[in-house]
Amino acid sequence: MKRLIQCIAFAALSLPFGVVAAKPIAFAHGTTVMAEYGAGTMEELQVFYAPRYFYSVGGGHLALDSDIDGRSRDITYARFNYLVKRWNREDSQANIFAWGGIGRARLSESADDETAWNAGVQMDYETRRVYSSLKTDLYEGSSFSNRVDTLQLGFAPYEHDYDSIATWLVVQGRRITGGIHDGTEVAFMLRLFKGPVWVEAGATTDGKLQAMAMFNF
Amino acid sequence: MYKSAIWTCALLLAATAADAGTIEMKVNGLVCAFCAQGIEKAFRKNPAVADVVVSLENKLVAVQTKDGADISDQELQATLTNAGYDTKSIERTDTPVATIRENLKSPPK
Repeated sequence: MKRLIQCIAFAALSLPFGVVAAKPIAFAHGTTVMAEYGAGTMEELQVFYAPRYFYSVGGGHLALDSDIDGRSRDITYARFNYLVKRWNREDSQANIFAWGGIGRARLSESADDETAWNAGVQMDYETRRVYSSLKTDLYEGSSFSNRVDTLQLGFAPYEHDYDSIATWLVVQGRRITGGIHDGTEVAFMLRLFKGPVWVEAGATTDGKLQAMAMFNF
Repeated sequence: MYKSAIWTCALLLAATAADAGTIEMKVNGLVCAFCAQGIEKAFRKNPAVADVVVSLENKLVAVQTKDGADISDQELQATLTNAGYDTKSIERTDTPVATIRENLKSPPK
């Protein structure tokens, strides 16, 4: 119960920052803000603006905290996101996104900041009842390399419409390489969105909070 | 004098009301309300648009134009493309968007 209250509180606290979308590009002239708290090993804040529907520019901050040996990375980056391919079907949509960026990283085991590179790919497929996405996100510098792989599978108990609240039950599997987490984090989440606001919150199988909030405007 | 002025006003109103039209577009990829916000935002920015309604169930975007205004098919398609969607069909009707909205809430039996 305490964990559930923490989840709801986090989602509510995230709203004033705006929200993010599960996609790095909203729509032409749209801005996306996203904040994620990932089970104590990962926190991320992103802001992107899309001049056209097929690309967006912006930046973010990623914090990785090892639950193995206590090492941490704080990476601030600028990023370019590109819609490689979209399939719009009568009852479904599928996308491939790719991105690349550059920034600065501060490592717990080093006194100096260093240049960090970022590259990633996301593939997703959704209908009004089923959602799936696979994302891989690599951060690398001269003395570190961390890759965050995230798989999400979602099921909607009912078909939402444009003016109604969408409800999704989502299971997430995540691996973070480079000494941040050993094995796969599995989380079960409740996702809700209506209008430009998206929130999701849940817990990993070992009871840690997993939450995300996003806003398109 | 009075009567003729009233009749003139009535005829003018009827004429302009007849100029207002509805454009119904069937859209592919319309499965997520969060992602489809861009469609409504884009059409509402168009000065020729009076009202917009979106339905995921019917894969429909309906736009009511202002009196005497029209939007070309090319511009409609470009707006949907820029929102990230594909246009399947475009049809002009006389059904006001308010009526479409009501029918979506409680479909006629």
